Amino acid sequence: MPQVKIIAKNFMDMVASMPAMKLDKLYDNGFICEAILRSMPPLGKKYVLQMLYIDVPVTSKSMEEWVFPDGFSKHKISIDRLVQLRVFTETFDKKKEKSYKINPVFQRNLQKLLVRGGNLPREPMPSNIVRLPSLEDLEIYALQQWECFLLQLISSNQAERPTNISSSLMKVFQRGLMSYRDKEAPKLTESGFQFLLMDTNAQLWYIIREYISNSEERGVDASDLISFLLELSFHVTGEAYNINTLTDFQGSVIKDLADLGLVKVQQGRKESWFIPTKLATNLSASMTESSSRKEGFVVVETNFRMYAYSSSRLHCEILRLFASIEYTLPNLIVGAITKESSYNAFENGITAEQIISFLQQNAHPRVAERIPSVPENVNDQIRLWEADLNRVEMTPSYYYDEFPSRDVYEGACDLAREYNGLLWENDKKMHMVVTAEVHSEMEKVWKGSIPHPQQRNVAYWGNGNLIFVFIIV
Amino acid sequence: MSTGQVIKRAKYKTSVKDPGTPGVLKMTENKFLFRPNDPSSNKKLEVEFRFIQSHKNTKEGSNKPPWLNLIHSQGHSYIFEFESFPDLHVCREFVGIALGKSGDVAKAVPTAISAEQLSTAEMELRIKLLREDSKLQKLHKELVIAGKLTESEFWATRKKLLDKDESRKLKQRVGFKNSMIFDTKPTSDGRTNQVTFNLTPEIKYQIFALKPAVHQAFLNFVPSKMTEKDFWTKYFRAEYLHRTKNAVAAAAEAAEDEELAVFLKDDEILESEARKKVRWVDPTLDMEADQGDDYTHLPDHGIFRDGGKEISEAQYQLYKRTFLQDLNRQGAVVLEGRTLDVDLEHPRTVAEALARTRQESDGDIEQERLNRISQMTLIEDLQAQDNHCFAPLCIKDPREYFDSQQANAVKTLDDSQVGMEQIKCSLPSDEAYGSLRVSISNLKAMGSRDPLVSPEIALTILNGLTKNISSTKYHLGKNSQESVLDILPSTTKEQLLDHWTSSQELLRHYWSSYPITTPNLHTKVNRLKDAISQIYSKLEEIKVSARSDLRHQVSLIVHPMQQALDAALLHYDADMRRRTARGQKSNGYV
Amino acid sequence: MASGPSKLYADDVSLLVVLLDTNPFFWSTFSLQFSEFLSHVLAFLNSILLLNQLNQIVVIATGCSSCSYIYDSSSDSNPGSEFGNMPRLYSNLLQKLEEFVARDEQLLKAGKQGAIASSLLSGSLSMALCYIQRVFRSGPLHPQPRILCIQGSPDGPEQYVAIMNAIFSAQRSTVPIDSCYIGSNNSAFLQQASYITGGIYYRPPQLDGLFQYLSTVFATDLYSRAFLRLPKSVGVDFRASCFCHKQTIDMGYVCSVCLSIFCEPHKKCSTCGSVFGQAQLDVASEASRKRMASDTKWCSGSNDKIGTGIVEVCVKSACRSVVGCFTGFLGM
Repeated sequence: MPQVKIIAKNFMDMVASMPAMKLDKLYDNGFICEAILRSMPPLGKKYVLQMLYIDVPVTSKSMEEWVFPDGFSKHKISIDRLVQLRVFTETFDKKKEKSYKINPVFQRNLQKLLVRGGNLPREPMPSNIVRLPSLEDLEIYALQQWECFLLQLISSNQAERPTNISSSLMKVFQRGLMSYRDKEAPKLTESGFQFLLMDTNAQLWYIIREYISNSEERGVDASDLISFLLELSFHVTGEAYNINTLTDFQGSVIKDLADLGLVKVQQGRKESWFIPTKLATNLSASMTESSSRKEGFVVVETNFRMYAYSSSRLHCEILRLFASIEYTLPNLIVGAITKESSYNAFENGITAEQIISFLQQNAHPRVAERIPSVPENVNDQIRLWEADLNRVEMTPSYYYDEFPSRDVYEGACDLAREYNGLLWENDKKMHMVVTAEVHSEMEKVWKGSIPHPQQRNVAYWGNGNLIFVFIIV
Repeated sequence: MSTGQVIKRAKYKTSVKDPGTPGVLKMTENKFLFRPNDPSSNKKLEVEFRFIQSHKNTKEGSNKPPWLNLIHSQGHSYIFEFESFPDLHVCREFVGIALGKSGDVAKAVPTAISAEQLSTAEMELRIKLLREDSKLQKLHKELVIAGKLTESEFWATRKKLLDKDESRKLKQRVGFKNSMIFDTKPTSDGRTNQVTFNLTPEIKYQIFALKPAVHQAFLNFVPSKMTEKDFWTKYFRAEYLHRTKNAVAAAAEAAEDEELAVFLKDDEILESEARKKVRWVDPTLDMEADQGDDYTHLPDHGIFRDGGKEISEAQYQLYKRTFLQDLNRQGAVVLEGRTLDVDLEHPRTVAEALARTRQESDGDIEQERLNRISQMTLIEDLQAQDNHCFAPLCIKDPREYFDSQQANAVKTLDDSQVGMEQIKCSLPSDEAYGSLRVSISNLKAMGSRDPLVSPEIALTILNGLTKNISSTKYHLGKNSQESVLDILPSTTKEQLLDHWTSSQELLRHYWSSYPITTPNLHTKVNRLKDAISQIYSKLEEIKVSARSDLRHQVSLIVHPMQQALDAALLHYDADMRRRTARGQKSNGYV
Repeated sequence: MASGPSKLYADDVSLLVVLLDTNPFFWSTFSLQFSEFLSHVLAFLNSILLLNQLNQIVVIATGCSSCSYIYDSSSDSNPGSEFGNMPRLYSNLLQKLEEFVARDEQLLKAGKQGAIASSLLSGSLSMALCYIQRVFRSGPLHPQPRILCIQGSPDGPEQYVAIMNAIFSAQRSTVPIDSCYIGSNNSAFLQQASYITGGIYYRPPQLDGLFQYLSTVFATDLYSRAFLRLPKSVGVDFRASCFCHKQTIDMGYVCSVCLSIFCEPHKKCSTCGSVFGQAQLDVASEASRKRMASDTKWCSGSNDKIGTGIVEVCVKSACRSVVGCFTGFLGM
């Protein structure tokens, strides 16, 4: 089974994985330095700050002096991260003592930011020219746009107003999330379902990562793209920026981003402009679930009924993945988590853990403060239903038949029993199944003796009464 | 000797030769009396056993008569000649026990040496506390046994410990009997048509507690209307009618005798109480909802008492009690427990006492119910969460304080005057503010220097800070495990900590004795001063005897302790000087 | 390296309330130029904002006759952007500071021309705590608050009670007070403030690198403090000021009811109005004892004769909670 494991990877991991040359080039831009600084673990930030005006290497020993023994792992992680991002460079002096020196370009840029401030290559447009949407409206717009994109992603025909993301790009995003079989409607894969259950930021990471990693195919330099995305995150949410200030490449990127809801593009009489939304400004920030968490909407009762206060069709679709939806009212979705609906989800590769964590993460504020936010009996039942499906387990084993004589058969049975590896036997027909470990022992015994039974490598499923033996060819 | 006394005929002889005075010897637990037969005789005796040192007696079978010789602690003896040896034995045994008892008391007395008369319970409590807490015991040994503090002084500051312990042990009391009083079975002799009920004070109390109506009737009728005996007869007659399930007869008799009717009717007081109790049920619970209970058409929910089936007839309903009612009432009273602590001998006093306790408990139930409703209706879902967390204000870890103080001591050595000196306002305010404004506008115009800090300065500062951190790392750690004390050998550390606790205790007592108003305080202060100077010199010893590499550390630790002690000693001297200079006041204690 | 979950990176979001000493009398006599000082502090403030997008700073100016909020990053949309030749943060703050200084001067002139040389630390501490309380109440998600006092002028003993109250309320709401004291002698108030609230007290010895101290020591967020050794206050001056004459004292009289401190015996507690027992009072006034024992620790609480009385104790603040406990313990 192809496993596309989706991890909510940090943007900075991607930056860190860039080749050294490109990374150094990135640091020419002050904003990227700032974004990098913000992405670091707290201790890393502190180390950068205290090295800001020091131009010689500082021994790692003297840095460790500050660390409590129980904080040492944190220290180590921070230093590793700094080195990985090439913010610190490791040097060794004559006595083989490890020292760290801060990247001079990075240092200089931060110093400049500190005392001079930094300016974006473009100024926000004065508000008398453009009519700006309120921040709330903008956020609603961003989420709508994002949901619309997601809907289109899962089923192209469901989106109310199709986005103008090129179908080839859409295909790129769908890669791994959807499976196309001949003459069949595209179906969500296991990871596709998992994707839908992730929170918005994690989804955004996934899409942006795909977008960047695909950039080479589209003939775009990944580092340009990264630096533009980072730059974008320093724009002020809700301010308008003239599109004329963008390069052609950036202009085309902005169009894609608008479809994702990262920016809102507006057309004036003479010129057009883009307004970054929260999704864009959060892109480089040290994002956390807690700081960017939106209000949850799901209430689950102990009787397995589920009320979702949402008008979003996407939410409805997501809930449909594991619950049976009964009513959809203008602002309320009523459903129930049933055995059938859960089985449905499990068949699609969604795990019980994912369902539960989705319910927990999206718990309505009224219930979110309770512990547990999802009733325990519901939690347990969902897990039990999942466990139901895994009642039999597979054991790699060997199947013997055509024993030359009953003596040989019985001898083999006894031997297998001795090793506690006899899974199944049929005295009448003289067939038996043993575990793979015992098989090697049996081999040793039979070594040399000519008449021995036929052996087949099989997989054994069963619990004593119900037996499936699959012959592995 | 369950009777507690022995009376025998005997002859009293002052010596072996004395022919003896015939009379009666009476022995009680703590003394013996001799009354001669001849009232005019002067040989009357009344001696307490505690003055008796020992006793001797003649052996049976020897040719001596049965004599008992009680020897007084002052030397002389009392000889009694009994009529027979068995008499002698009885008396000898009694004397043996009596002497044993008085001896115990005598031995116990010297242990309670302190002037304050402590009950043994209190004494035991203190001993127990000391046994449980080895640190306390150590301190006690050092301060009290060594005579630096008196026992009472030591415990006065630990009243809380004592109180806490005292509250723990509650006297166990006899509860209410759990057997059904309603089941007091009459005995009948079978021949005559007579039924006998056995009535004890305990049963009377139980009846009062279980049946408020009977209780009320008793208070009303006895002794003004009828005698107690009549009352109980009537009561049991009613009871008997119930028992025989003679509802018809009960109704008939009740019609004739109004007093009897009281016993036969349903207990009204009980009902009102039940209503009150219903109100105690969780007010959000709707009791009305239970009224449609299926069993209500059957008495006793279909359970029959004594296996008999009762015929329910509506008109006699009034005179029937159900088994469940009885059972519930019994349960409730048992749970309430025994509320009285009076002698059960006199039913009248019992009844009155019971009435008093009932009234007390009635209180403002209504008010309480309202409170409970308001509490119950505070349903948490509807409340905004108050998740504002507060740290409790508390005493910091004293060891931490100790650590920072020792550094303080170092500091005060070099710069004795810390902070607090006022800046001279040499400049007029115009000028001062002016220069401030110039600074701000300068910065505004010029912007700040770049680089803000030169790399050399930055490096020296970082190195300085690192050095500072690593040097304090071993001296003043964040947690107490890293404290200075731990680099000292464990014996020294133990000693220091011990001295610290005892000096704290001593100082506390010392300062609290000022101002000296009584001779007691005066002697206490003197005593404490001596103890303090002792500790002082011990600390000095520790300082000197410490290993050379640790001597500095030790002296740093000891210094603040010594300072504290010094302050006490100085104050003592100053106070003494002032006292002598001013001369003694009339009361002598100022 | 395996990327930690992004959740880990959120613990350092902080709200830093900086109390800036703008006492003109101090700065006019001090070796470090105020402009120099400001440029270090401003760079420090900017660096805090640089560290995390969600970090927030509030600056309160501590003047001679008034205090005022002079900067709040939450109402500044883009503090890091260049404006003139400096970040917007700088110009906004300097503008407000100028206004504040002018107002402060006027207030001083309007008031009595006393020789007040200390800054109104108590006022700005209270303002900081108020602001933080508001943040606490704003919802479950708020940055971790801490207070940093950058102080140079000496303590004003007359503010003792107010400052101690502020300190205790900060302790109660678990807000650490860091102190960067640049004056020549240690500040007993700030030492106590940091000690009691668990903040850092540090007196930088080399002022031309103030930024380095600020960024190395005081920029450490509360989350990282669990892992780092930071300068520990050694030798805290715990002496208190008496409530009657605002003098710093070692030994004094403490009201057994409300724990007010006096340098001389009174018939009645001026704070809570308790009347002290006659017998002890006679004695106390008779013997005009003012003992200046230098370093006695908690040392009193009479054990067998206390009704309502005035008790002579050591009055160091760290002891006061102990004394408080003491009094309860003696059943007073």
